[in-house]
Amino acid sequence: MSRIGVFICHCGENIGATVDTAAVAAASADLPGVVHSVDYKYMCSDPGQNLIKDAIREKKLSGVVVAACSPRMHEPTFRRACQEVGLNPYLCEMANLREHCSWVHEQGEATTEKAADLVRVMVEKVKRNRPLYPINVPITKTALVLGGGIAGIQAALDIAGAGHRVILVEREASIGGHMAQLSETFPTLDCSQCILTPRMVEVAQHPNITLYTYSELERVEGFIGNFRAVIRKKARSVDESACTGCGACIQKCPTKKIPSEFNADLGPRTAIYVPFPQAVPNKPVIDRDHCTYYRTGKCKVCEKFCPANAIRFDQEDLLVEVEVGAIVVTTGYQVAGAAEFGEYGYGEYPDVITGLQFERLASASGPTQGVIRRPSDGKVPETVVFIACAGSRDAARGRDYCSKICCMYTAKHAMLYRHKVHEGNAYVFYMDIRAGGKMYEEFVRRAIEQDRVRYVRGRVSRIFERDGKLVVKGTDTLLAGRPVEIQADLVVLATAMIPQPDAETFAQKLKISYDEDRFLSEAHPKLRPVEMNTAGIYVAGACQAPKDIPETVAQASGAAAKVSGLFSKDELSREPVVAVVNRCAPPDFSTCVGCFLCESACPYQAIEHEEIRARDGSAIKTVAKVNQGVCQGCGTCVALCRSKSIDLQGFTNEQVFSEIVIL
Amino acid sequence: MDTLQTFASAKLAAGEVKIVIGYQAGSDATRARPAFVSDTAEAASLIYDDRCRQNLAVYLLKPEVRAAGRAAVVCGPATLRTLLQYAAENRIAADAVVAIAVDADGTVTELADLEAVETHVARQPRGLTPEQQAEIDRIDALPLGERWQWWSRELGRCFKCYACRAACPLCYCSRCITDVNQPQWIPVAADPLGNLEWNVVRAMHLAGRCVDCGSCAEACPQGIRIDLLNRVLAREAVVDFGVAAGVSRRKDYALASFKPDDKEEFIR
Amino acid sequence: MAEFEPKIVAFVCNWCTYAGADLTGTSRIKYSPNVRMIRLPCTGRIDFMLLLQAFGQGADGIVVSGCHPGDCHYTSGNFHARRRWMLFRRLLEFLGVDLRRVHFAWVSAAEGAKWAELVNQVVEDVRKLGPYREFPRRLAAADSRAEVA
Repeated sequence: MSRIGVFICHCGENIGATVDTAAVAAASADLPGVVHSVDYKYMCSDPGQNLIKDAIREKKLSGVVVAACSPRMHEPTFRRACQEVGLNPYLCEMANLREHCSWVHEQGEATTEKAADLVRVMVEKVKRNRPLYPINVPITKTALVLGGGIAGIQAALDIAGAGHRVILVEREASIGGHMAQLSETFPTLDCSQCILTPRMVEVAQHPNITLYTYSELERVEGFIGNFRAVIRKKARSVDESACTGCGACIQKCPTKKIPSEFNADLGPRTAIYVPFPQAVPNKPVIDRDHCTYYRTGKCKVCEKFCPANAIRFDQEDLLVEVEVGAIVVTTGYQVAGAAEFGEYGYGEYPDVITGLQFERLASASGPTQGVIRRPSDGKVPETVVFIACAGSRDAARGRDYCSKICCMYTAKHAMLYRHKVHEGNAYVFYMDIRAGGKMYEEFVRRAIEQDRVRYVRGRVSRIFERDGKLVVKGTDTLLAGRPVEIQADLVVLATAMIPQPDAETFAQKLKISYDEDRFLSEAHPKLRPVEMNTAGIYVAGACQAPKDIPETVAQASGAAAKVSGLFSKDELSREPVVAVVNRCAPPDFSTCVGCFLCESACPYQAIEHEEIRARDGSAIKTVAKVNQGVCQGCGTCVALCRSKSIDLQGFTNEQVFSEIVIL
Repeated sequence: MDTLQTFASAKLAAGEVKIVIGYQAGSDATRARPAFVSDTAEAASLIYDDRCRQNLAVYLLKPEVRAAGRAAVVCGPATLRTLLQYAAENRIAADAVVAIAVDADGTVTELADLEAVETHVARQPRGLTPEQQAEIDRIDALPLGERWQWWSRELGRCFKCYACRAACPLCYCSRCITDVNQPQWIPVAADPLGNLEWNVVRAMHLAGRCVDCGSCAEACPQGIRIDLLNRVLAREAVVDFGVAAGVSRRKDYALASFKPDDKEEFIR
Repeated sequence: MAEFEPKIVAFVCNWCTYAGADLTGTSRIKYSPNVRMIRLPCTGRIDFMLLLQAFGQGADGIVVSGCHPGDCHYTSGNFHARRRWMLFRRLLEFLGVDLRRVHFAWVSAAEGAKWAELVNQVVEDVRKLGPYREFPRRLAAADSRAEVA
């Protein structure tokens, strides 16, 4: 027999002036199962809460309905009060007499009647409430960070700094990412490598960080707190523990004309190489696609000259299995490729280059030691045209979004060029200048006003070669669409930031969602910007959307804070409002038939397959199982389940049904 | 050319299948009944003609048939679609069934795996018969009140024998919602609400899954056109979401997927 | 004779419409008291059977409301719900149910005024239609567990 207590709150005049609370209390007292019904001025006050606690103790209540304000306001208050005297907090429900009744209706019979109805409905529900207990999930306090650019470096250092173990996986031979390629950074013009490389070294030396470079995520399974990941350590062909990083192999390697990825193809590298001098780890890899030995079976010059005997031609990929509690995705971006810019002659004219290539030209560590020389003949260009929005904000190329960083780096490029070539002319073709950010607008103004970069508002229609010059044809839309023609020596395209080419398969591997542009989708665009929808997976940097370094670092620290928060306890405690697949007596074990149509409806991939086996180990059936560590309790699966084999704790079919039956 | 009988007999003789599910002549000249042939000699009794309308896929899930071993099923187009839907819903393994497809012209084709079934189904025409279309149009054209009254009368004749459920290959839940009593979703009695709810629930549970075989209406002893409810929703799913059931062995359930820009002009 | 007062049952999600209706209260915007709300975590949780049940219990009109597309607390529960409603509406229409008795809406946590307008409008519309007598009622005996002790 239920023993329900009903507590009607006046909320001072807020409810009391509109609803006849005494009448509601009296009507509620007559409801079947109700053994106690009172009204009081302020239920949330200490004396009010004591009324509830005393009644629970004295009348041995099995459930409580507090009819007061919105449960979104005081449900935690009253549930805590119940818990303090030993009543399971989930046996307490609230009827919303204030926001949904007294504040929105006039004083009168209809309003009091509605108030009584709201109480009646909740009494029916609470009769069917069951005690619920927080779900505890054990946590492996190791984080897996995927991607060793600035986002991954920052996240790894922050998590490691908080005292947790980190496994950092980087696909390339060195960490550093795109930031290592940049010359100076806006708006301060400090040298990118100068601020980045100490961080890289810190990663390598941090006792809490295990670094896997030249490695990729092979697969992952599990859930928040309990992931198992397999990392493929690609064969470096070099024994990292033996190699001293002396560089003799690189000097002796006879294959010297491979375009250097680090230099954005503007300079050569050898077949055994480190991507750049400050690489971490400073251990070479052999590029097997270009190495003479792997192609012809003859050479082994590097092996001959290696003083440490570290060359391993027969090395194979190694699969490493790791257990982690959280995953931070920081896989970064690429810049849009050559094929897109036929009208700009990219790929056809060597002196039409991307912004990233210009970074290498301007960098002291670049192929020209920081002197701006054009790729075709190495001359210092007298006129440079920069084209913003090359591929961004361009529906025709299927890319509506703004790449966000181009306005700033274009201003920076033009500025750097003017600093390095005092007599040079710099033109920028732009659509709009987007310089939101601390000191950003000032920076662009400086480029225009102090460094006299000429900004032309309009788009470039065509670039072609004439008499050794690149002719840039466009319009100036501020001058009523007047045609503009500039004879340039070098053209720099601010190409769009795009997701990694394998972003889609990567996301599918992790079971995380991505948007139509293939950027990863955060759990909530405003309130959960560093979490993925899959619990325990976090995101930072340009793999989520185009962003600049400060934003990336902030997001990485945010993700790290989330991970550290998760790791601050030994167990993750979650609200028990989750879906559960029923169990029943043999031979059925569950009424679930295992159609798994719920599986694709679940926004969180919380539905798992569970094999029910007989004592002799033979499989009886496969049914759905909700992973309670992952389920967020939306109940979409519950409404979908035809046989009603899944139910949502706290909002069970029986509870909701009874609410309707009593209406 | 193989006849159905020689084909079935050969498959059994070769041991490729243990049982052939097909049709035999029924108790009178107008009826056919399902046949479960495990002996080559019996294969001669198999028939396939206009009387053979029942969707035999329904038997594949019966424990007795499962226990018999690998089965071959005589399939019209709808039965082939059922096999694909079964695969999408984890009912059958890819190689558990040999489909013996019989086309409208009597051609017998062996479809050894579901990939072959998929290819075959893609070539088959699918749609409402003129009679079905006319009946749906007629009902849709009725004024609202009359439409309600017409259905109330029709569904009022239901006495909840659940023959529709037994005949439907996709009503395979081990516990049907009608058997749930906590809460009692659907009143047990064949009262107006119970009848309405049962038929709505059946239509909705099959929405996006129904393969258009019409077995439900064939089975209804009262001759209620309950198939129309399913057929209307199947068309709606194709029009609104571009998803049809029974065309692929991969899971593509209209109600467990979405597009952000799905139609919503009815939502305020 | 007193004017017919329709009984409206509203199925709402916790995060948007329930909160939006809270805001209606906080803003002291008045609306018709004819509505009773059933709070669920998400529109994705709203089983179409619950709607039939509400009619079976004597509701004259129904409102179903949740987060706008893209705002779902659970990202996509409302998208799944929307598809289900599409088909359910078509079925009801085919059966001859007056769709003016079943309203679907997106009401966000910031749309307190929209909630009040929506309820008032549905109450007025359904008032014009009159009591939903055609819909069969659930008999008390139908529920084997009508009384839970």
